[in-house]
Amino acid sequence: LSAIGGFVDIGDLVFNTQAGALFGFQLLWVVVIGVVGIIVYSEMCGRVSAVAKRPVFDLIRERTGFAAGLATLVASEVVNLMTCAAEIGGVAICLQLLSGLPYRLLIPLAVVGLTVCSWILPFEWIERLFGYLGLCLLIFAVAAIKLHPDWGEVARGFVPGSHAGGTTMVYLYYVVGLVGAAMTPYEVYFYSSGAVEDRWGLGDLGLNKVTAMVGYGLGGLLSFALMIVAAVVFLPRGISPEFLGTPPLAAEHVLSQAGLLLALVGILFAVGGAAIETSFSGAYNLAQFFGWKWGKKERPAGASRFTLSWLVIFALALLVVMTGYDPVKLTEYSVIFSVVALPLTYLPILLVANDRTYMGAKVNGKLANILGVLYFVVILAIAVAAIPLLVLTHGGRG
Amino acid sequence: MSKAIEVDIALGILDHQLVDRDGQNCGKVDDLEVAGLDGNAPEVVEIIVGGNAWRSRGLLGQLLARLSGDAVHVPWSEVDSVSSVVTLKRRAAELRLNRGDDRWAHLIARLPGS
Repeated sequence: LSAIGGFVDIGDLVFNTQAGALFGFQLLWVVVIGVVGIIVYSEMCGRVSAVAKRPVFDLIRERTGFAAGLATLVASEVVNLMTCAAEIGGVAICLQLLSGLPYRLLIPLAVVGLTVCSWILPFEWIERLFGYLGLCLLIFAVAAIKLHPDWGEVARGFVPGSHAGGTTMVYLYYVVGLVGAAMTPYEVYFYSSGAVEDRWGLGDLGLNKVTAMVGYGLGGLLSFALMIVAAVVFLPRGISPEFLGTPPLAAEHVLSQAGLLLALVGILFAVGGAAIETSFSGAYNLAQFFGWKWGKKERPAGASRFTLSWLVIFALALLVVMTGYDPVKLTEYSVIFSVVALPLTYLPILLVANDRTYMGAKVNGKLANILGVLYFVVILAIAVAAIPLLVLTHGGRG
Repeated sequence: MSKAIEVDIALGILDHQLVDRDGQNCGKVDDLEVAGLDGNAPEVVEIIVGGNAWRSRGLLGQLLARLSGDAVHVPWSEVDSVSSVVTLKRRAAELRLNRGDDRWAHLIARLPGS
């Protein structure tokens, strides 16, 4: 399960719990849209990587040219850095809640820990360590069931429609944010680069499909759980989870101390894994844009620019978090800005997945194309709406 | 190049990955030098990689070109084949490519466990 680190990150955590606390179950349908979207495009990326051996940022440069590619690179590096910083902030908050040590001290410790893990462990081990311990997040699914929500109401949440409570602008802001959090571009950068590193071939196309569906499907399931828990626990009490330590309290509310502990460990490792993914995505993108040697499997000094890139991204992210800027706000901004970079990331994938000179017989089938085009329209719409909604709603605060 | 191939220069070569004889990435086709544009047999004579090659490629490219050094010129005769990547006949170092990695290699090599 190579997508395992990426099933839930800080963006999903923040947007799903806030959406649940504000709108109850009414935004569950958006999670479905986001998850199907990331499955569709991840499957395409993985297939392109397996057949044409080309990772996403290679394609972005080849298809959109130098100038647009460079603009996409700059945008994605900024978003990657913000996201990496937010994830590190999340790791530090979890460590603080687990240990009681001061947050400011734990930030550099978190970065050192993540850097050392990335330096000494092969990706298979990083995936296992962060992926499996991240599965502690399933405690939120247990909590969601134990809370005995009105399942009829939950089911109605999967039908898009008019909403009760909150303004339409804020509702739309969360629609954009939830799709953005589910379809964050760094996930496909990382996924496709990992597939090329693992030398996927035609025999791995089945594995690619399963990985995309199971990995992101699991992410969707956890997103439902987070939103349902927030809807039942926070909404009636008027609690707005603007602190990252709030969602685990819901698990504690239902399952006492053990629930709190599992929730914190789950968040710690899911978010920690995502921090590693974002720093490597940043390095992959730079290397693939400029044509450098790259890869975790290369000798670090042999691909020195690639190695230096991910180390520098960790260092810069450390500086950003040390400013003391709220990680939750950082997350919101990074997700909304990433939405703006979505079209230039996903269009080249769609074009190349249809190009027989790259793909031979493995070009997109009818279903992949219908969904691909449909989602591209969705992505364009939310990319246009993202910044205006951010400004008009003051970051979803109405 | 002995084999004749038909390829769209803008879509099939420009901005594609350069790979050396050993299969190592060694830059991108950042620009192409074409001779004989006024005659009826224009010909690609050089691949230009990095640095000043970005000058002609948009505002951000100009800025980037200023910050980096000279471009490396690779004669087209060094090209072995063109697929989704452009493969060269020799090693990157022999063509003065990938010098950026050499520059930082000493620093990274000093880190424990590298």
